[in-house]
Amino acid sequence: MLSFLPQLVVSGIASGMLYALMALSMTVGYRATTVVNFGHGDMLMLGAYASYVLVVGFGLPVGPAVVLAAALLFLVGVAAQRFLMQPIIGGPHLSLAMMALAVGYALRGLARIEWGNDVLKLPRAYPSGAFMFGSVVVTTDDLVISAAVLALLVALYVVFNMTAVGRVIQAVFQTQRGAALVGINVRAFHATMWGVAAALGAVGGVLMALIVPLTPDIGVATLVRGFAAMTLGGFGSLQGAVIGGLLLGIMEKLLGFYVSTVFIDITAYLVTILVLLIRPKGLFGQHATLRI
Amino acid sequence: MATGRRLFWLIPLLLLPVPIFLDQYRQYVANLILVYVPVGVGFNVVVGNLGQLAFSNVAFFGIGAYTSGILMLKLGLPWWLTVLPAGVMGGVAGAAASVPALRGVRLFYLAIMTLAFGELMRWVYIRWEPVTGGSFGMAVPEPSVLGWALNVESRKFYAFLVLVVVVIVLTDRLLRSRFGRAFVAIRGNEEAAAAMGIPTDRYILLGFAWGGFVVGIAGSMYAALVGHLSPASFDLTELILQFAIIMVGGLGSLVGSVLGAALLTAAPEFFRDLPGFEELLFALLIIVVILFLPRGLASLLARAHPVFDDRYFRE
Repeated sequence: MLSFLPQLVVSGIASGMLYALMALSMTVGYRATTVVNFGHGDMLMLGAYASYVLVVGFGLPVGPAVVLAAALLFLVGVAAQRFLMQPIIGGPHLSLAMMALAVGYALRGLARIEWGNDVLKLPRAYPSGAFMFGSVVVTTDDLVISAAVLALLVALYVVFNMTAVGRVIQAVFQTQRGAALVGINVRAFHATMWGVAAALGAVGGVLMALIVPLTPDIGVATLVRGFAAMTLGGFGSLQGAVIGGLLLGIMEKLLGFYVSTVFIDITAYLVTILVLLIRPKGLFGQHATLRI
Repeated sequence: MATGRRLFWLIPLLLLPVPIFLDQYRQYVANLILVYVPVGVGFNVVVGNLGQLAFSNVAFFGIGAYTSGILMLKLGLPWWLTVLPAGVMGGVAGAAASVPALRGVRLFYLAIMTLAFGELMRWVYIRWEPVTGGSFGMAVPEPSVLGWALNVESRKFYAFLVLVVVVIVLTDRLLRSRFGRAFVAIRGNEEAAAAMGIPTDRYILLGFAWGGFVVGIAGSMYAALVGHLSPASFDLTELILQFAIIMVGGLGSLVGSVLGAALLTAAPEFFRDLPGFEELLFALLIIVVILFLPRGLASLLARAHPVFDDRYFRE
């Protein structure tokens, strides 16, 4: 039984990379605006469909299609923040959460109207196959997903920590009022970061569609896993989101194999509930409760 | 004001002859509306009055429905004896869902956790196959009240009407008492409420438990109405309908809950063969209401006549 462990961990890391990207994109949006986007899963879904349409409908190569889909979702994110969230930003949190949730549902409804419950398959830009490393099987999908997410993580790390833009972002993450006082346009920043979060989600959606059938509900399941990863890592922590995502991916595989396959579906829910009851600040969180 | 409110008793009286004018299908839709009135009432207590961002309402609804269904199918109890247990199970679930709120896990944490709770329950309905019938669901036996079989839609209508009136009157009493005022104080500012000597934990627990109880009863009515329970009835599309009911009707308003249920419950019936439209419609309604009418349709009624103003306080 234990001999399967390396295989499970490796497979877990691949799906964990996706959860990490999901959690990270949600954290970027959350840190920028202090609003949790309950519709974020549907940004991911829309990104996957956008690249599907660009590839299958318009015959674009996969690479440019993904970039274009991310750019489109950036605009969707900016528009959602600017025209729907910004007007009520000072209102009750309940309204903000409901607005984000409703935007997500609207997108999902549109996707369902257009594509119904068809199960679409996103074409791959590379031959699908697998490699053997000792006794461990690694699929090309696993490799592509991990490489893409790692590249994004490195890019984000560089932008956040080594550029002038990154310093602006960190400033607003720390204190919005302070950032506004030193001349940062916080409003424009909010919209931009929602766009960035949506674009990151879109890339996540494309990668997700490599291993999971593309349906209008693809985002919701991922949203819950993203929340679980964020909670586990510590809500609002960037590195926590990544580590939480990886751990969640591995835990799903381990629980699914050593306990029962039925646990794969609910690992995320159990993790969320247990972490919030036992250690609400997670692994790397700063605050036990959210004060906004 | 009090005399004005007594006129509300005319509403159930005026509804009494309604079944005469309706065919079976329209009667079914009317019954469905009656089911969703307590769904909205209970949900609104937690979200609107108590101000807690809880997504677990569909779970309470499902727990109530399955409790009734299981008691009828496995123990052979008549439906009317399962209504109270369904409410109690919903109330227990409500109390359980409030535990994170009591532990200082508020706002978005509570939302995430209750969302997980709702989806976890759906997993239970699917996986606990010997009891719940799994994905295929469970056939609920014919409901009856004191040996009187509710075998036509109009009979269900009267049974439901009685329950709805009881639920509304009790909830109205609760919200107009010191409990209801404490709920609103907690919604406004929990620390301030606690500083004024309100035992906020106890009231949050009570609010959740009452909300769960009422929604559990609604679940029991749902089981009696549709006769077949399946996990798909308690999914995320159901959640957006329930949110739309309280948002469009008016947050924190009993009148709003009733109004929202009356106007929106029938909508999914029109979209049966058009997947996606239901989600889109409810989402757009919620967006429009948040942007342009934050207190929902109830606020329009309240502006038209003070008797509809059930905010119990001045802002």
